[in-house]
Amino acid sequence: MKNKTKYSNMDASLAIYLFKNKFKQGAVRFFTLVLILGLCFTIVYPIVSLVPVVLSTVDDLGNPNVIWIPQEFSTVSFKAAARLVMPQGFMTMVKSVLYAAGIMVLQVFFSAMVGYSLARVKFWGRGLVFGMVILVFLLPRQSLLLAQYISFVHFDVLGIMNLFTAAGEINLINNPIVLVLLAVFGFGVNQSLFIFLFSQFFKNIPKELEEASLIDGCGFYRTYFRIMLPNAVPIISTVGILSFVWNYSDTYYTNYFNPNGNYMSTLLSSTFISANKDYILNALRTWYDAPVVTDLAFDAVKQAGALIFLIPLLIVYLIGQRKLVENMENSGLVG
Amino acid sequence: MKTKRKKLSFRTMWKVHGLIFASPFLIGFVAFFLLPLIQTFYYSFNNVGVGDQGGMTFEWVGIQNYINLFTTEVTTTNTTMARLFTEENSTMLLSLPLIVIFSLFMALLANQKFKGRAIVRLMFFLPIILGVDVVMDMLTITTGGTTLDTGSNLLAGSYVTIFLVRTLNVPMRVLYPIMTYVENIFDLISQAGVQTLVYLTALQSISPSLYEVAKMEGATAYETFWKVTIPSIMNITFFVVIYTIVDLFLKSSIAEEAYAFAFTQGKIGVGSALSIVYVGNVILVLAVAALLLRKVVKKNEK
Repeated sequence: MKNKTKYSNMDASLAIYLFKNKFKQGAVRFFTLVLILGLCFTIVYPIVSLVPVVLSTVDDLGNPNVIWIPQEFSTVSFKAAARLVMPQGFMTMVKSVLYAAGIMVLQVFFSAMVGYSLARVKFWGRGLVFGMVILVFLLPRQSLLLAQYISFVHFDVLGIMNLFTAAGEINLINNPIVLVLLAVFGFGVNQSLFIFLFSQFFKNIPKELEEASLIDGCGFYRTYFRIMLPNAVPIISTVGILSFVWNYSDTYYTNYFNPNGNYMSTLLSSTFISANKDYILNALRTWYDAPVVTDLAFDAVKQAGALIFLIPLLIVYLIGQRKLVENMENSGLVG
Repeated sequence: MKTKRKKLSFRTMWKVHGLIFASPFLIGFVAFFLLPLIQTFYYSFNNVGVGDQGGMTFEWVGIQNYINLFTTEVTTTNTTMARLFTEENSTMLLSLPLIVIFSLFMALLANQKFKGRAIVRLMFFLPIILGVDVVMDMLTITTGGTTLDTGSNLLAGSYVTIFLVRTLNVPMRVLYPIMTYVENIFDLISQAGVQTLVYLTALQSISPSLYEVAKMEGATAYETFWKVTIPSIMNITFFVVIYTIVDLFLKSSIAEEAYAFAFTQGKIGVGSALSIVYVGNVILVLAVAALLLRKVVKKNEK
């Protein structure tokens, strides 16, 4: 009899314990879910809330009756934005994408070389060079803008230019070659970070691979291009995605060194400044026969422009995002 | 030529090849970093003008440029330089811990196992592309019309706030700073994209056996977090903090100011002085952060 009560007591307490545990787990799960949903909401909401703005007619903006679904759908904002930021039509976007892709290829190619050399070859002064990479990463690029700018205005490498021009120097500002030069010599957008990432990756590749290829008779360059590069696909795609995103949206280098280059990023940031407001509103009036345009229309066109600008980035992101997360794991940055 | 080449040992040749591979960066370092740095330094002590022949003229003025910079010169928005620097540094120091902690938090959430994780991750890393300067400028800065609705006014007008103020009598003085932070949450998230990615990687590289041991020993989730997770990601926190500082400094408006000094007002010397002061500022902040962090990292490594 006594035993029995004891058992039932234990059963009861066990049940309570299990119930408590289950409840706790459920509560934790619930809160995590709420947090995750909340964060997703915060990230996506600003973009989603643009949809009714950019899709409604210009006259209809600011209508207090409209929250989510515009009364009349129209693509005027998009058309106007496209006309403003893409002077050559669709080709402007193609050009910007091609520019970003080209610089990306250069950045990846040259950063990988430097990174490999820093990680695998014990050449003289390697520590010093590594220190230089870190230093370049740490110092903000703006601080050297003036001197860089002046050096490009009076571009002259060791007096070679004397042979080509009378003045002994050429003005490289507004010449896209500056951007190519910067990327080749390791000073493009965030390139020191890329070099760092590559060197961290190559450090973790097993030495046996290199030795095997050497025994099989490959030289330095063949080892690199045939063995090391194919093995570095994860980090190449990571750096490639980041490089593309940053170059496509870069306004610093393009704006200072190639202001007339008509890149979408610079066009976007230079067209939609508040000083241009009246011009844009007038354009809206004449182009689309919309007599009642307010400041709201300016914002709508601007945000439509931003959305158009985002399209290539979103495509790249949707394709590459999965890889980005997976690849960072083998990037060697950690551990 | 050929005989000489044979004399070089295999190792030496290997090093030579390595140096060739690193040479683009070395050339770039000299051309685009070292020389500009020295020139900026030199310009900052000179009155730089344009000569009759089109070249540049220099007139040594000592530290006059620096004195002018902080006494007479004003920025394009008519504030003093001292104020500009204080503002930039204080906003940076305020957002730094928030961004770092926030990115860790997002990474912890993205690391959980639940249904639809792929979609959540897809959204969590959207800031990598949404956070780029151009897009942020386009989306947030508006002219008189409606500002971008980042969901910020949702809190101010929400039942939670009304409940806190009316029923619990929480003074607005306490509530207001919290509300400003919550309202700026999109700003914060938009700057935490890469950091979240790095943290997620770090979290995934922690060996599962460590968690198993902790569980066997009867550690609670709270203890596991502080004794296993935090020490394991301390090294990467160092990287994240440095990256965040650098990233925040990159967004600063100093470049425009220096450019305006040099090419709108024709005062290259003052612009260079500004750049040099700026470099000093960055180095100081980074050094302090590195020193502090190194202590924390070492403590956790034991």
